[in-house]
Amino acid sequence: MVAKREIPPVLEILCENIVKSNNPLALNEKDLSSWAKGLNLPLKGDTLFYTGGEYQLLPYIDSLVKTITYINPNGNFFSLVMGARKIVNMTGIHAEKIYASILAKDKKRYNLINYKAVYILQKLGYDLCYNGKEEIYSGALLHELGFWKELKSYAPKVADYVRKTEAKTVVCISPHAAEMFKLILPQITDFPDVKVRTFVEMVCERKELLPKLNYNKPVVIHDSCRLARELGIHEEIRQILDSLGVKYIEALRNREWTTCCGGPSKMLFPDISKIVSGRRVTELADTGADTALISCPYCLSALESGKHYESRNIEMEDLIEFIYRGYES
Amino acid sequence: MSSFKKDIDDYTKNLNDASKDKNISTALTRAVSTYRETVAATMKKYPHTPELAKEVREIKTEALKNNDKLLKQAMETIESNKGKAYFAKDQEEAIKIAHGIIGTGKVIVKGKSMLGEELQLRHNLEKLGNEVWETDLGEFILQLTNDRPMHILSPAIHIPREQVAEIFSKFFKKKIEPDIAEEVAVVREFLREKYFKADVGISGANVVAADTGQIVIIENEGNVRLCTGAPPVHIAFVGIEKLVPTFLDAMKVAEVNWRYAQYPAPSYVNIISGPSKTGDIEKVTTYGAHGPREFHVVFVDNGRSDMLKDETCNQALNCLRCGGCMYECPVFQVTAGHYGRTYLSGIGSVWTSFVDGGVDEAASMLYTCLRCGRCVERCPMKIDVPTMVGELRSRVVSSDDDK
Repeated sequence: MVAKREIPPVLEILCENIVKSNNPLALNEKDLSSWAKGLNLPLKGDTLFYTGGEYQLLPYIDSLVKTITYINPNGNFFSLVMGARKIVNMTGIHAEKIYASILAKDKKRYNLINYKAVYILQKLGYDLCYNGKEEIYSGALLHELGFWKELKSYAPKVADYVRKTEAKTVVCISPHAAEMFKLILPQITDFPDVKVRTFVEMVCERKELLPKLNYNKPVVIHDSCRLARELGIHEEIRQILDSLGVKYIEALRNREWTTCCGGPSKMLFPDISKIVSGRRVTELADTGADTALISCPYCLSALESGKHYESRNIEMEDLIEFIYRGYES
Repeated sequence: MSSFKKDIDDYTKNLNDASKDKNISTALTRAVSTYRETVAATMKKYPHTPELAKEVREIKTEALKNNDKLLKQAMETIESNKGKAYFAKDQEEAIKIAHGIIGTGKVIVKGKSMLGEELQLRHNLEKLGNEVWETDLGEFILQLTNDRPMHILSPAIHIPREQVAEIFSKFFKKKIEPDIAEEVAVVREFLREKYFKADVGISGANVVAADTGQIVIIENEGNVRLCTGAPPVHIAFVGIEKLVPTFLDAMKVAEVNWRYAQYPAPSYVNIISGPSKTGDIEKVTTYGAHGPREFHVVFVDNGRSDMLKDETCNQALNCLRCGGCMYECPVFQVTAGHYGRTYLSGIGSVWTSFVDGGVDEAASMLYTCLRCGRCVERCPMKIDVPTMVGELRSRVVSSDDDK
């Protein structure tokens, strides 16, 4: 028998968490779906709102990365942190303590993005369904990290979730999930024949209905790699801003030439990730805009880190949060 | 089998150190900005280039499908041109062939070649008792510092003029000012003597026309002209992927290559099809007139035919080595060639997986790639690095018997 190649624990644990807990950080259903409490979204319907738990993960990822920046992400200590929910208190590190240390304001902010997205889409006349108890992660990281054999076994579970909702359209707020549903999963499993749309596309389609925003300063758009290059969506964001009556400045590297936020390196190469994020923040801040608009959870999280790393005075705001301002006022 | 888990610690430390190196960051920031500005201006002046690149993509893709035939044709043509053609299946064979031609105790002048790096030509020929001089200015600096290339076209991209002055002052045993013109002049003076004393000149090739047996070498410094023209023997080491059917195809490949390497036109394009000859006295063809009397071409496989058989990764063989992708890579921009071994950055991780140690050696590089895809936007051949990296990662994490 040929020995299995030794790989860094961080990769193994991310994979195991997804396969066994349907989520990269093994968060529980309450952590993932509490944002929808009170919305009373139906479990089935024509248009499925899909979070994949991705915005919900962000505060936990940030907290973990802050911890692992000081330790070796490939070491055993890190394995314990990543697998925290299943290995409790073996070395004095308690999963719940780590998870409890997540800043409440971060948790609230990222959870609210899901809520705000639903609110906006409903205001635009979309009827959405969502099944928080059963929703599972898209498997994007299995694909990204090369766990294709595991993804093949995992993919039918994602397909089943979508199928059960009887949806004809799936709206993804993360471009990573959209890429999985549109380009990857149909190739490896019997994926239901659904239209896959991003939040940006859905809003752009009914942009005339958006409330104007009284925002007098120009913003800068950070195009996400997945959205701009893989899915070809970048003009739509500009059209939405035009409808909102908001001026925008283009970053030197934008649209299909956009610069990566550094997010993909966060777990294996946290130091490099910070530097790459910081350089992108500099590109955005150098436009003179004081707000950058982002349409990807991982970009939002990475650029928030990059902003602190570079100490640049520019706000990182999700496009969802920005559009929602119009409804608040 | 090396351990990805263990290797990644040293690799990460090296990568992190590089990312904090001010020389790298200053040099790369300048280089990236110059590259983008120059390429934009060059494309404006020669707007047919992107269309020509599409044509070249087709030429290269078709050529790779017929690689066996083209190799046979090129070798026969080179022989009929009175050159000598060889095929080396791996590094060991390539070095054995070189040893057979060169022997020991010779002076060798060498032009820049990525295949030369892959085969570790200089070190191997030195081990065989020869004196070898790198003649590309960047490679010469690295030879003196015992360093390795940090970019495929600008190998000493990470060393600023002040540091070059220190290196040269020590080597030439006289004070060299940190003045680029002075630094260039001192190397010119030193190497000029070597070209004419050398027994052998070594080069790579950017493209080879199978129908005429002509090898094409693009350069700016003029060192390759001297390496391939002054010594009595010229040996070219060529990867088998460099073959295209016709001379006209080769010219198209060359133009796209230099344009994406940011040159409107390079100072020199060397086209060589055989040894130097003259028939000026009584019409008797005599070999070895002013140029070399011997011309040897060593075609090297070293994993390329395995890459060719790989449905996902064979597109990497289309790489022209223009280096454009590296300037667009956010990780390369802060770490230079530390994100690599012989071959660098995302495309380098694919090449490493086949020609320089396999996926075991490439694993850390494969996981450094952000899979952001901006390299694909820049690449004249539209090589899909993120897809290949994904595929190769899947080979890293699956056990061997899963494959």
